[in-house]
Amino acid sequence: MNNQLQSIVLDWIPNQSMVIDFGCGDGTLLRILAEKKSVTGYGVEIDGEKINSCIANGVSVIQQDIDAGIQNFIDMGFDVAIMASSIQCLRRPRNAMQNILQVANECVITLPNFGNWELRLGLLKGKMPSSAQLPAKWYETKNLHLCTIADFEDLCAEESFNIKKKVYLNSRGSSSWLANTFPNLFAAEAVYLIG
Amino acid sequence: MKTVSEKISFKDTLTLQSGDVLSGFELITETYGELNSDKSNAVLVCHAFSGNHHAAGIKDGEKKPGWWDEIIGDGKTIDTKKYFVVSLNNLGGCHGSSGPTAIAAESGQPYGASFPEVSVSDWVESQKLLADHLGIDCWEMVAGGSLGGMQALQWAVSYPSRIKKAAIIAASSKISTQNIALNEVAREIIKKDENFHNGYYLAKGKSPQKGLKAARMLGHITYLSESNMRKRFGRKLQDPENKIDADVNYEVENYLQYKGEQFAKTFDANSYILMTKAMDSFDPARDFDDDLVTCLANAQAKLLIVSFDSDWLFPKEYGLEIQMSAIKAGINSTYIELQGDYGHDSFLFHSDRYSAALKNFLNSNE
Repeated sequence: MNNQLQSIVLDWIPNQSMVIDFGCGDGTLLRILAEKKSVTGYGVEIDGEKINSCIANGVSVIQQDIDAGIQNFIDMGFDVAIMASSIQCLRRPRNAMQNILQVANECVITLPNFGNWELRLGLLKGKMPSSAQLPAKWYETKNLHLCTIADFEDLCAEESFNIKKKVYLNSRGSSSWLANTFPNLFAAEAVYLIG
Repeated sequence: MKTVSEKISFKDTLTLQSGDVLSGFELITETYGELNSDKSNAVLVCHAFSGNHHAAGIKDGEKKPGWWDEIIGDGKTIDTKKYFVVSLNNLGGCHGSSGPTAIAAESGQPYGASFPEVSVSDWVESQKLLADHLGIDCWEMVAGGSLGGMQALQWAVSYPSRIKKAAIIAASSKISTQNIALNEVAREIIKKDENFHNGYYLAKGKSPQKGLKAARMLGHITYLSESNMRKRFGRKLQDPENKIDADVNYEVENYLQYKGEQFAKTFDANSYILMTKAMDSFDPARDFDDDLVTCLANAQAKLLIVSFDSDWLFPKEYGLEIQMSAIKAGINSTYIELQGDYGHDSFLFHSDRYSAALKNFLNSNE
């Protein structure tokens, strides 16, 4: 997660809140949140290597397949749920979104924008595009459900997910006039606070 | 690895959960490595149902190493170059600590069945006195598998300020109905042995070894997984040369017969009953209106909860239950489910992910 994105997430998450990070990776974000915002954080991860990094980082983590359901986290007292660049890796992202808002009052979601012009250009050339946000080759990627910013916001409208805040970042990871004015074309990444 | 074996006499009066009183008791211990100057590198390992104080290394004249030798030692998961590891035989055991085979001062006879019922929390009380004796204010970690994991959990509940980390492996906050049922069958088998004499067999110079052997054979099946038994023994016939007796047909029969027999030679029937009772009755939430969240509310230790996929005695739901309660209590806690080849016994053996998790947990900072 780049610095700009990180500082946005840090800014949105209240001090001392209970946070659950779905697809927490090596636990870096949760560790920073614990240090800087005194949150009580738990990660959910399925990859064994990443789980071991979390343990080494002193980060609480639960080994669980998000696709198999996250209902067990409902009514556990979480204030904020995070899904940082992991929604597109899920088999049933729509389902997960519905559940995640039962788990926590608010949800921070970050996603790579597949509508970004560089990716469109890549596809125009006839190859599966790649970028800093989507570095993996098509045969190695864990992404199952890539979408554009427009697609994601359509889903939020359909499901009545209330977007409280949103920030668009360009491919250098910063806010810009272009990315804000034409996000679906010029943003590389979007971050939402939904609740 | 520096290893010290010591039998320690305690003058303390220990009031047990049952209300019985032990006026003084002995604990046999084994320690590995060295306690550092600020006494901050101490790790307590708690044995499971049939374990004892001999956790690591090979004793002179013996072939088999201690029960957690794959995990404890110089350069191993619990590195004895870095940590001071304390292991003991629990009260009620039969390997040197006060228990049914010890001589009761009042009668001059072995306690036998009159040794009081002890619980997991009684063990923790005695281990706390052991910590005091060793000058250890706070364990860096208390770890154990199965009944040992229950002790680690109880430590976090009983002495929040004296334990930094608890590794609760292949365990639960209370055992399943099925598990109690299996324990009862084992106890019944022992009690029906003609040499049991209501538990006072030692005074009569007898030993209910047949019952103990059969009980262990049953228990042993529950510690393994179906797939492990299939892979290991399949339906192979026992070769006639090495048959333990003529009635044996399959390798698995011979194996269980052998294991049961070896066990019966070294274990005490009253201890078997006592240990299974302690396991059955473990339920720290009972004192908190059966609410594990309230029970954990004061705990401060970080928890590592490990379940193994092939463990049908302590299935993963039990580990997850502790994890979910720990989250509600806001405790730093991690739950992992590992692939284990050996069923419930998987906790005894090294595997890359298991060892890495345990090592990372032990070495992690605040």
